[in-house]
Amino acid sequence: MNRRQSKLARSMLPFAVQLWRMRRALLLSIPYLLLFGWLFSGGTAGDPRPEELYGIRDAPQWKAPDREHWFGTTANGADLFELTRLAMATSVSTAVVAVSLGIGFALLAVSLFVFDPRASRFDGIERLARAGRTVPAMVGIAILTGAGGGGLVLVIGAIAAAAAFHLCPVLARWFREGEEGFDLIAARIVGLSRREIVIGRIFPSVLRRLPGVFASLVPVAVLAEMGLAFLGFAGERLSVGTMVARGRAYLIEAPWMAIHPGLFATAVVLALSLLGWRVSAALRTGPLPRFL
Amino acid sequence: MIRHLLQRLLVATIRFAAAGIALLVLMEFAFCVLGESDRHVWHAESYTPVPPELASRPLTWEELLRERLAMTGRVLLLAVPGILLVGHAWGILGARLRRYRIARLLSAPFAAFACVPGFWFVVLVAIYSYFHWQRPGFADDLVVGRGPDLLSWWHAAVVALPGLAAGIAWQIRAVAGELEREAAQPWVRSLFLAGANDEEIFYGRVLRRSAPNLAALADGTLPALLGSLVVLEPAFRYPGLGSLLVDSIRLGSYPGILLAALSLVAFATAAAFLRELAAPSSA
Repeated sequence: MNRRQSKLARSMLPFAVQLWRMRRALLLSIPYLLLFGWLFSGGTAGDPRPEELYGIRDAPQWKAPDREHWFGTTANGADLFELTRLAMATSVSTAVVAVSLGIGFALLAVSLFVFDPRASRFDGIERLARAGRTVPAMVGIAILTGAGGGGLVLVIGAIAAAAAFHLCPVLARWFREGEEGFDLIAARIVGLSRREIVIGRIFPSVLRRLPGVFASLVPVAVLAEMGLAFLGFAGERLSVGTMVARGRAYLIEAPWMAIHPGLFATAVVLALSLLGWRVSAALRTGPLPRFL
Repeated sequence: MIRHLLQRLLVATIRFAAAGIALLVLMEFAFCVLGESDRHVWHAESYTPVPPELASRPLTWEELLRERLAMTGRVLLLAVPGILLVGHAWGILGARLRRYRIARLLSAPFAAFACVPGFWFVVLVAIYSYFHWQRPGFADDLVVGRGPDLLSWWHAAVVALPGLAAGIAWQIRAVAGELEREAAQPWVRSLFLAGANDEEIFYGRVLRRSAPNLAALADGTLPALLGSLVVLEPAFRYPGLGSLLVDSIRLGSYPGILLAALSLVAFATAAAFLRELAAPSSA
């Protein structure tokens, strides 16, 4: 009997081992995808502007919450639940893009110093981060978006810049810790070059923890985006922040217009946070700085 | 000691100056490059007196800043000690009962509350106040003319609460994590083997050895708390530094933006200075 494994089986084995190691994170990605899928499946409302929904005061057509409209309707009769779902999908996608860019920028910035053999290679990053920590991130983001005229690109850029700035020292610490393991000392003794050690050993261990960073930061970025929209610094597009801000004008006649979008946002952020904590625990990401 | 104090003071001053320069660069970039304004930060005419939209009566910048500082000071006076007391006490308790993983349980209600959008929470308080207490809900709706001004403390508490909850959740996890890391050191096991009991090791050794690291965690949440005021104060129409910053950005008032932002930076710098004095290893 031929007991030799086929080429395909041999190449699939490391892949299967890798999948088994990541089983927790992969399992947790299922509810993530389901949540995202559900949020993004409600695209029937088109691209409504807050002005159209909340601007009618003379003959409002709003309806209080009932069986047909769980969350009630807006001043022009649009279903508030569907609008909130659309607004949350926008907020979540903004946060996802901003956090991904932030992580990418931070990795790029730290990578510039990784191959430097000196022990003080990350000192500049750490010194800058210590000084920058005294400026509340939200102050910088508010100045940038508010003075720059708002807009989706600006909001994404501002949140990404803040995330990158505060993630740089974390990534630098991980790279430094990665070089202190016994196996790396052994690799150095064996004669592997610094480049080989960094690319082959340290980089993969840092990259493996990044989904945990992403999962932890997305709910925070969602809250920041909604806060900016509430202040009117995120442009004229639908967001839960805009809906609550505009709903304040109808607090007495139609309080559901301010209450229910916030309730929906709380549930989504809570679900994202729970998933984020689990993903971060599964990948052993460790504590992250609280900057937003 | 004096040398250390002076050194940290110099570092704090340099950091504050660097933050000021960074804010000026950010304002120039945001207003002139992105917003296409022709008023540059280095032009003296960009620094106008207090616009009437920022104050109900004529005030100088100094008077306005003093008023706003007092209001934000109340919020911080409620939030910061609350975060430190509850965060440290419950964090220590969580680490003491680490085998039951109680720290997660203790921080869970605060972490869940931190998921509530703060601006929505303060609007909710205003709605509740209107419908159930039959009085205007936002901070600028009612002013106490005579007697002790307890109402402004209530308003400060409403603004402080979302940041307080988020700060406590972070602090409990950070304190418990620090103590658990220390309690997992090999010397703790040797003390067990030598016959010392858990309580004695935890309070007598682990807590004492971790004290500098715990002190280093003291200002970990302050920048985020100060940042949250930028959204919470305007949402509750609370006249503090956050409101001043947002209103000044809307009006394009450079002195208002600089004063509000630098005051918030000064709070964070002062806290970092005190932390570095208490825990020199964190410097």
